[in-house]
Amino acid sequence: MLNWFTKKNTHSDVKGNLDSYLKRSKDYKQVYYENQKTNQRFCFSFLSSLIDESILEDHALPFLLDKPFEKLEDIKKIVSVADVQISNDPSLIEQKLFNGYVLMTMESDKKNFAFIAAQKEIVRSVTQPEVEFSVIGPKEAFVESLMQNVNLIRKRLPIKELIIEEFTVGSLSKTKVVTLHIDGIADPVNVETIKERIKGVQFDAITDSSYIVQMISDNKNTPFPQLLDTERPDRVTAILAEGKIAVLVDGSPHALIAPTTLVEFFSSFEDYFLNWILSSFFRLIRLFAVAFSILITPVYVATLSYHYELIPKDLMSTLITSRREIPLPPILEALFLELTIELLREAGARLPTKVGQTIGIVGGIVIGTASVEAGLTSNVLLIIVALAALASFTTPVYKMGNAIRLLRFPFLLFAELWGLIGIVFCFCILMTHLIRLTSLNRPFLEPLYPPRLADFKDALVRFPFSQQSQRPQILRSPNPVRFTPPEKKKKTDIDE
Amino acid sequence: MDMEQQHTVADKLKVSPFLVFFLIHSMQVGIGVLGFQRIIALTAGYDAWISVIFAGLSIHLILWMMYKIAETVNGDMVSIHTYIYGNKVGKLLSLPFVLYFCLIAVTIMNGFIEVIQVWMFQDLSTFWFSVAFLGLAIYIIYGGFRTVTGIAFFGVILPLYLIFTFFFTFPYADFSNLLPIFDHPIKDLLKASKNMSLTYLGWETLLFYYPFIKDPAKSKKWAHGGVMFTTILYTLLTVTTFAYFSEGQLQKNVWATLTMWKIVQMPFVERFEYIGIANWNIVILPNVCIAIWCASRVLKRTINIKQKKGVILVSLVCLVGANLFKSRNQLNALFTLSGLIGFYLNYVYIPLLFVAVMIIKKVKNQ
Amino acid sequence: MKKIIISFFIAALLLCGCVQKEILDDVNLETGVGYDLVKEKIRGTALVPVYQPDKSVDNKTFTASSKLSRDFLNDVQRQSPDPIVTGSLEVVLFGKELSERGILDLIDSFQRDPSVGAGLYLAVVDGESKKIIQGNYGNRGTAIFISNLIRHNMLTKDVPKTNLQLFLSDFYQIGKTSYLPQLKKKGKNQIMISGISLFKYGKVVDTIPGNKMFFFKLLVDNYSEGTTEVKIGKEIAAIQSVQSKNDFKLSRSPRNEVDITLKINAILNEFSGNKVTKKEVGEIEKKFKKDVERECMQMTERFQKQKIDPIGLGHFVKSKTRNFDIKKWWREDYPKLKVNIKADVTITESGVIE
Repeated sequence: MLNWFTKKNTHSDVKGNLDSYLKRSKDYKQVYYENQKTNQRFCFSFLSSLIDESILEDHALPFLLDKPFEKLEDIKKIVSVADVQISNDPSLIEQKLFNGYVLMTMESDKKNFAFIAAQKEIVRSVTQPEVEFSVIGPKEAFVESLMQNVNLIRKRLPIKELIIEEFTVGSLSKTKVVTLHIDGIADPVNVETIKERIKGVQFDAITDSSYIVQMISDNKNTPFPQLLDTERPDRVTAILAEGKIAVLVDGSPHALIAPTTLVEFFSSFEDYFLNWILSSFFRLIRLFAVAFSILITPVYVATLSYHYELIPKDLMSTLITSRREIPLPPILEALFLELTIELLREAGARLPTKVGQTIGIVGGIVIGTASVEAGLTSNVLLIIVALAALASFTTPVYKMGNAIRLLRFPFLLFAELWGLIGIVFCFCILMTHLIRLTSLNRPFLEPLYPPRLADFKDALVRFPFSQQSQRPQILRSPNPVRFTPPEKKKKTDIDE
Repeated sequence: MDMEQQHTVADKLKVSPFLVFFLIHSMQVGIGVLGFQRIIALTAGYDAWISVIFAGLSIHLILWMMYKIAETVNGDMVSIHTYIYGNKVGKLLSLPFVLYFCLIAVTIMNGFIEVIQVWMFQDLSTFWFSVAFLGLAIYIIYGGFRTVTGIAFFGVILPLYLIFTFFFTFPYADFSNLLPIFDHPIKDLLKASKNMSLTYLGWETLLFYYPFIKDPAKSKKWAHGGVMFTTILYTLLTVTTFAYFSEGQLQKNVWATLTMWKIVQMPFVERFEYIGIANWNIVILPNVCIAIWCASRVLKRTINIKQKKGVILVSLVCLVGANLFKSRNQLNALFTLSGLIGFYLNYVYIPLLFVAVMIIKKVKNQ
Repeated sequence: MKKIIISFFIAALLLCGCVQKEILDDVNLETGVGYDLVKEKIRGTALVPVYQPDKSVDNKTFTASSKLSRDFLNDVQRQSPDPIVTGSLEVVLFGKELSERGILDLIDSFQRDPSVGAGLYLAVVDGESKKIIQGNYGNRGTAIFISNLIRHNMLTKDVPKTNLQLFLSDFYQIGKTSYLPQLKKKGKNQIMISGISLFKYGKVVDTIPGNKMFFFKLLVDNYSEGTTEVKIGKEIAAIQSVQSKNDFKLSRSPRNEVDITLKINAILNEFSGNKVTKKEVGEIEKKFKKDVERECMQMTERFQKQKIDPIGLGHFVKSKTRNFDIKKWWREDYPKLKVNIKADVTITESGVIE
């Protein structure tokens, strides 16, 4: 019966096109009704897979059938659904239908039509964070529904200044992307930059926030992620309050945070739940672990290939006896073991959890022991590589952990090339690369470079909250003062 | 007007005034610090540490002049030259600086390669190492002056821990080596100061990156601080070296600083000089980068070559230069030449510029 | 295009830029070397540890003779299956006969070699160094055994600190001569430090016997820990944790007199007499003081006669004199120099029990 509507419409080509496509899908429904009082005939068209029919039955139909109305405008008053829109632009129809609206047309009014919101929300319930698990602190993680995620943040920041702007990207997926920032705290330049970049995204199907990260980051030729992603709404709240910007993507349980810095990738959100001394200690441990994990195997290769002079004489016999029977030079030995570990990791990640665990244990024990016994690798290197792998898992952000996994291979090559000089040379390359990286045009290495002492309060170590009265300088917040610290009390003497 | 536009540097490309500290200090500390002690002790014996202080203090005067010049002209060396000599001649006279900075880059790089070849890898290929090193320098300079400054910053901060390694020499040190003080005539001390000033060279680059400093007036104290820090560091190093070596022994050691590291022993490292040399890579890197940056910047300002192309051009010149001067004798000649040019540039030419600029300023004001 | 060029360069760098490797298990580490004079030629014996799977160490030696020490290494290379490298050299021993002829050329070669550390121990052997190098002492390797032997005696016993750096520093110092410990083979598998060899221009001219080393160390070095004995009549007192400091003073004018004050702190550890009272301690102190002064006096006189100066009196006087003339010093001033020695001994009573 949409036909009578379609035929008489001026934009019949658009409509006809849409209609013919929709009719080929099973979930497209058109239903006709007649008002009991005025005998007005009207029609509902919708995609049944996207709408919640109970909304229609409980909140729209009873009123529309029983209460009198003449024009489309009137239904706004009688229907108990809040989101009812009247329009005469047929080009909206497609978008609205696919967003879960019900299209209502009246026989008497050919020009206008109404959209009644009746979205079906198939939502996974909010669960515990899995990637960024913390022992203490909130146990809520983002889910795949954009509105649910916004809800998780909104309820933590009940202020009018929290601005949520929506964009649609992806020529096929029509993915909804929202940016969140607190007006007056976030730097407007940053907000503009990220909006521009999201608008500039050109792709057909965007299925996750990881797509967005790769498309809006400043430098694409780098293993380092330049936007922090998190699944913790509490973390997003905290960084919004600092003056950063969050990006949520519909269908993705990970929020993006920009601008970010390198050190932020090594701070776990749990750091903020612990006392500042403990969290500083853990941060330093983590940074040490990263350096250790990248450098230890290359240093092994460099010293054993070139700089035997460096080895303490007490260690000499251990190293020599463990390597005596190994046919491979140190570099191949190291590459062999590193690749084995990478294989184990990759296999463990691709397999179902239970099987993956088994593979990890079996692989670790069997391959490790067997390769030492077969004389393929030395047991000293086995310990070193295993420790390096362990250390690389301490990085709290998964994507950064991946980047660090990759980094040791160029270091290994350079160690093989020029020993310790090669390692330092490779370090210089890495350092330059990091200095050149930016996140939303802000230096990625801040506060290390450009050095800003004030921002060190929450970087390599975390000072107590009482000292964090200023927002990080890197964010150029229009309102840099977090809180005015209470005036210092006069220091009292002992027993006073 | 066109020139003026080219001349001004966008604010976001400028660096904070306090970073001048690192720019100056990192450019001063290079390859010379590994073995300057022998040369100054040759003329002034173990009184030479006085020369180290004296030479260090003399820099402050020149630095003061440099700031005066740059403030008056409000621009870099090319602007100073055009201010004095006029546009065409000024630019023409700036061109030799391209060669000077190439010379500096080659001297430093080859000096380091020689150290590696003597101490670590006898068969290190000069060609391939300089290719890699210059490639890295190009990558850094492509990041702009901010990246160059960043390298200078880390080039100072990261190797700073090396200072502590010199504490390991204290059990073997005999500070009475330095006594009696002033046992040498003033003439010898001055001669040693001149030799020492070669090790201090590098602060003249300030005149080339001056326009890239945000709020240059504020950077003054940092520039002087950078020089002072170098002076203090060199003085301490000199005193430590003199206490560690007896005078005759020092004359035997070309790289006294490296030889001192031989005594350093830690539970996990038996010999430290290899780590020290490897770390020196970070110290050398900003030297080469700043020099090449300056050379390419002068090219851009004088004959309008895009800096991207200029950097490649300068690097190619350096690569050829690095592979031409390989033997010990050639290298020594290279060191002497670049030292001599640097010395006259800093202690003769810059004061002359100072006088010229002051006179022209007076004339223009009237 | 740009990427292709860059990757080409990186590949070429990795292929052509490599340097000669010295893979730890594919080289022979020379940990010790001994030099002897045999038939007017220098015979070198290089010691290479062979690490066994059970972590014990076998000692392998290579011997070759030549005119120059460098040539010796070339000859040895021809006997060895893997290249012999000098980077982890621990000890260098010189035979008595050779060290009396002069060992400076040999030491110079170590100074020249950048891979040799400065903490290397040098020692003179009473007899042939080859015999000591070839011995087996414990299962950690001969070189480590000898270097540990020397080190512990320097830190806590009577051997003054020396190593390659200190030897060279003293050698080149104006107004100082150098010294090295002397080793001696005691039994088949035993060695001991038998004294201190004193050098003059790189040649051994005198040796201080083992029982006088205590006084020698008082003069040239500072004790941080040590033991000695004092005899009073029939009784013997053992003195422990000796801490000493020497202090030099030059007379005003004429400047030809040096006062050496030896400040010694010690704890009385054991006394063969019946009781330790204040009086006994006082007596021990007095006797100890007298012993020190007498022995040290004899020693300095002996040095002056032989025109050697391991204490560095010349260096001390130089540091107090402007325009010091070193030639005149050795010729005229040093033999005439008057040295006064004063020991300042404090003995604290007997440890933890009364």
